[in-house]
Amino acid sequence: MKSELELRGVQQRFHARGVADGYITAVDDVSFSLAASPPQIISLVGQSGSGKSTIARNVLGLQKPTAGSVLYGGKDIFKLSRAEYDEYRRDVQPVFQDPYAIFNPFYRVDRVLWKAVQKFKLASTRAAGLELIEESLRAVRLEPENVLGRYPHQLSGGQRQRIMLARVHMLRPSFIIADEPVSMLDAQVRRHFLDILLDFQTEHGMTTLFITHDLSTVYYLGGEVMVITKGQIVERGPVSTVMHEPSHPYTKLLLDSIPQPDPDQRWTTRIAVDELERVDDANPADTMKPEAPIL
Amino acid sequence: MTMRILTAVVRTIRNSRRLAAGLIILGVMVLLALFSPLIVNAIGNGKDPIEVAAYEKWLVPGPGHLLGTDQFGRDVFAMVMKALSVSLQIGAIAGIISTVVGVIVAFVAGYKGGWIDGILSTFTGILLVIPTFPLLIALSAYAKNVTLFQVGVMISIFAWPFAAKTIRSQVLSLRTRPYVDLARVSKARDLEIIVTELLPNLLPFIGVGFASSALGAIFGLVGLEVIGLGPGGVVDLGQIIYNAITTGALTLGAWPMFVVPIVLLTLLFAALNMVNIGLEEVYNPRLRGVAGE
Repeated sequence: MKSELELRGVQQRFHARGVADGYITAVDDVSFSLAASPPQIISLVGQSGSGKSTIARNVLGLQKPTAGSVLYGGKDIFKLSRAEYDEYRRDVQPVFQDPYAIFNPFYRVDRVLWKAVQKFKLASTRAAGLELIEESLRAVRLEPENVLGRYPHQLSGGQRQRIMLARVHMLRPSFIIADEPVSMLDAQVRRHFLDILLDFQTEHGMTTLFITHDLSTVYYLGGEVMVITKGQIVERGPVSTVMHEPSHPYTKLLLDSIPQPDPDQRWTTRIAVDELERVDDANPADTMKPEAPIL
Repeated sequence: MTMRILTAVVRTIRNSRRLAAGLIILGVMVLLALFSPLIVNAIGNGKDPIEVAAYEKWLVPGPGHLLGTDQFGRDVFAMVMKALSVSLQIGAIAGIISTVVGVIVAFVAGYKGGWIDGILSTFTGILLVIPTFPLLIALSAYAKNVTLFQVGVMISIFAWPFAAKTIRSQVLSLRTRPYVDLARVSKARDLEIIVTELLPNLLPFIGVGFASSALGAIFGLVGLEVIGLGPGGVVDLGQIIYNAITTGALTLGAWPMFVVPIVLLTLLFAALNMVNIGLEEVYNPRLRGVAGE
């Protein structure tokens, strides 16, 4: 397995009408790298529209960046040979945001697991494949008999999302790209899901790029964090440092936006939407990238 | 997979009485058309009842000839049966051709996007706004002795863009679904994604596309025949109506020649429309009542 995934100066622009130059820039010169060993969890935090999901699509090879490159083992993922591509696909796997839309409503949920067995040749016989599927379902604390043979609408959001984790468990990729995986789960199921991700890190050595808008889950996961706004990474470092001594005004604003389950700490002020806009305009210097990469 | 589609079809039909009614009427008509050679034989009792001068001309409806005979002494009931089968065959041929062409164009355009979509969509758009009827009249002027299949092809040239347009817009919305992304990171190829991920979800739209192009084709040909401009050599329901009009059959007491084909066409139209509406109702939840599954 190649041990590094790197983004180098990735820029993603989309055609848009009604914008001055006809483009909107979703991702603007983003560089960072993920190492497979030691396994780690790196969070990418930003508000809606900050470009974080586009980065996930770039890393997964679903969207070719307009400039810059995504490198897997030092090679551009859009220029891999067949064998290298197979390895990359196996090694970099996603968990998506919407646990319902990820399933084709026409098929039973087993299909995504069987597809993984078939496409990545995980087992040579049907019995071996079934054994593997059941083992992985138990690893994410699902009872195989409760989920196999069902249609997506018959399962809860948490169950569906854990099936996606079971898929990841079967494939054992070095990198998990988790794009807002818990934003549609309720608090209890969310915690459960995050624990499984942490287990994957310690037991199977998987590195996770955890994309979210929610700083409280980032705090729970620990590790490193990158803060992105308007397509640029404005702050990065260990979670404890960024959380306690935020250097960028956007990070401060983000921290202030975490609701506390404490009646004495209720919000008394309101954040206007244009305050979010003003942060960057008022402090152009602050949008510059930090000098040293964290990794 | 086949079982899955079958159970889905049965469930769909159970969910909509309109769909069921439409399918039953359609089924009866298809059966009549399939058995039309047998029925014609039974009427003829050994000889051909559609031959010129098979019987006396202008016989009124009675026990011997349920719907009477026409100006050449042909049995009207036998003629109607045969013409019904011809009309349905035209519908089936044109429906299948335009659905296949429409689906292929729609999937290539919708899934590939970019300049390919641009070219294909412009082309379908152009065909869509061309006034079809005058062109069909012009085409049939050149087609005096054509086979049924050729007529079907002629009509489907103008019938497929409609199906292509509706299906393309569905493909556009489906191809950005997360499950398509998941299939892509599971190493599925484009064709595999189109066939296994997108196509099953579009079956109702393809069904609607087929029904409306079949309907368009049948009525296109009837329209041509009724004004006497149909291609020669094809006797469909429109041709019988044309004969009834030009010979003044109604004044001679031979009303079935005029009425029966019209009733059959109306039934066919109603049935196909009920299938269309029924399918839309089942698959577009916003048109459905509050009752869920």
